[in-house]
Amino acid sequence: MNGQRLWALIRKDWKELARNSQALAPMVIVPLIFCVIMPIVVLTLGQNPEVASQIQGMAAFLQALPEGILPAGATEQQQMVYAVVVYFFAPFFLLIPLMVASVIGSSSFVGEKERRTIEGLLYTPLTDRELVLGKILAALVPSVAVSWLAFVVYAVIVNSVGGPLFGGLFFPTPTWLLMMLVLVPLMGFLGVSLIVAVSQRAKTMQSAQGSAVFLVLPIVALVISQSTGAVLFGTPVVALMSLLVAIADLVIFLLVVRHFGRERILTRL
Amino acid sequence: MTVVQAAGVRKHLGGREIVRGLDLELGQGRAFALLGPNGAGKTTTVRLLTGLLQPDAGQVSLFGQSVTPQSTDALRQRIGVQTDTNVYENLSVQDNLRLWGDFYGMSRTAANARIGALLDGFGLSQRAASLAGELSKGMRQKIAVARALLHEPELLFLDEPTAGLDPEASEELIGQLQELIAATGTTLILCTHQLHGLEALCQDVGILAGGLLVASGAVADLVAERWPGSALHLEVAREDSEAAAGVLEATPGVTSRASAADRGHFAVQSEDLATQDRLVASLTAAGVRVRGLHPQQYGMRDLYFAVLDEHRATQTEEVAR
Repeated sequence: MNGQRLWALIRKDWKELARNSQALAPMVIVPLIFCVIMPIVVLTLGQNPEVASQIQGMAAFLQALPEGILPAGATEQQQMVYAVVVYFFAPFFLLIPLMVASVIGSSSFVGEKERRTIEGLLYTPLTDRELVLGKILAALVPSVAVSWLAFVVYAVIVNSVGGPLFGGLFFPTPTWLLMMLVLVPLMGFLGVSLIVAVSQRAKTMQSAQGSAVFLVLPIVALVISQSTGAVLFGTPVVALMSLLVAIADLVIFLLVVRHFGRERILTRL
Repeated sequence: MTVVQAAGVRKHLGGREIVRGLDLELGQGRAFALLGPNGAGKTTTVRLLTGLLQPDAGQVSLFGQSVTPQSTDALRQRIGVQTDTNVYENLSVQDNLRLWGDFYGMSRTAANARIGALLDGFGLSQRAASLAGELSKGMRQKIAVARALLHEPELLFLDEPTAGLDPEASEELIGQLQELIAATGTTLILCTHQLHGLEALCQDVGILAGGLLVASGAVADLVAERWPGSALHLEVAREDSEAAAGVLEATPGVTSRASAADRGHFAVQSEDLATQDRLVASLTAAGVRVRGLHPQQYGMRDLYFAVLDEHRATQTEEVAR
């Protein structure tokens, strides 16, 4: 593995990304919706018991929460805010790296195919491993950075809006730190690896992004499971998911590198 | 030293045999023009020779080393390739070249010096900071060629390098390539349809047709083989055309072909000067008014069309059978 080549490839992708407003827009809009708009709306409305009682599904979500996961002695209003901030929004933060990575990752190989730059790249001394890893890191790092930035913004907002209710800072919890520091990068890596794999075969960015939608579906299922109380995003779930995703990352990365073929890319141009 | 060697290379793509038994050998410092009409298999040949495609049969060696999936990463370090692909339009001219410098392991100092020299040579110094996408097609083509030349490769593949260049820029590029080969001993494989000016650059030629290398070797040898003896261009009065044709046929040691387009014009091959003297005497004796008899210089262009015509005729005969 040659660091100079790898870094050059990553830097090149970032420079191109910085000049691509179509790719930058989802990187801003998606976190803005999940981490700023939705929390402010839910927290503002959630502090009003009359309004909160009218939000469909919220009562069911609260009732489905297991005993003992909410702070002892908390009022109904505190319980609701805590449950929403700590549990309800957690899976959305797994959607952010996946969605950002799908936008950047889709433009990796398939974007180079569309812009007819890929063949030049394939003639350089970049090894298959450098090419695949470079493309993955070029998409992964911004997606994790955006997720972390969104997390910081989310933490500031929920503490600002919900803090007075609890008499001080109440977020993040250790589970959230585990999720953001371990699970989010692992999830991002998984998403990007799969998208890079799809990009080798896809002929257009639209088709690559279309395939990427399927990656988001399990996370959407998690959001639904969470809201129905079927799966609660607590520390054991996050730890187990991290382990499973780490194994999947390793297996999929090795498979992507193994099945990476310059011939396949060229003949599908 | 043999730089490029291909033996019995075959390749199918999409159910069609694109390259049908390629045999090729090219020594160091040689400039080889790979010619052929559209779809002849030139690009696939380059991809096979550089290891981007694996042959279905046969073997390719570069610098005496077999081209395999395991060896290509190291071999690519020694070659430079410009093909019909785009440069990065969202990067500046300089960044496009620096990127290639990094890929080939050049230090920043060495890369900058080389980039400066190449941009000067291609007349692009003033546009170094411009985005490649803001430049004309011809300028982008120059960047693509400069990118291939940047690390001073031992083996250089250029695919239609003069496409999009104006005649002056084309001649300049050919001149620069000549200088490069002379100075560094770089081996060049150049794929093109544009035959003008190639003879000054390429000593060797290969002509591909329908995936077959139908002619290959030194241009001078192939020309001498196809048009042995002295090649002449005979012009007679139009009215004397038939009489001239009779004399030409009757003169020993002479072969000729009447021009289909210009009545009174003949391409003539004669064994030696004495035969030419006999021919002129016979024409005069037969009352043929000779307007001119000039030495005919055959070159790569004549060779290309003659070889392709012959190949097409052979194909037609085979189909008829």
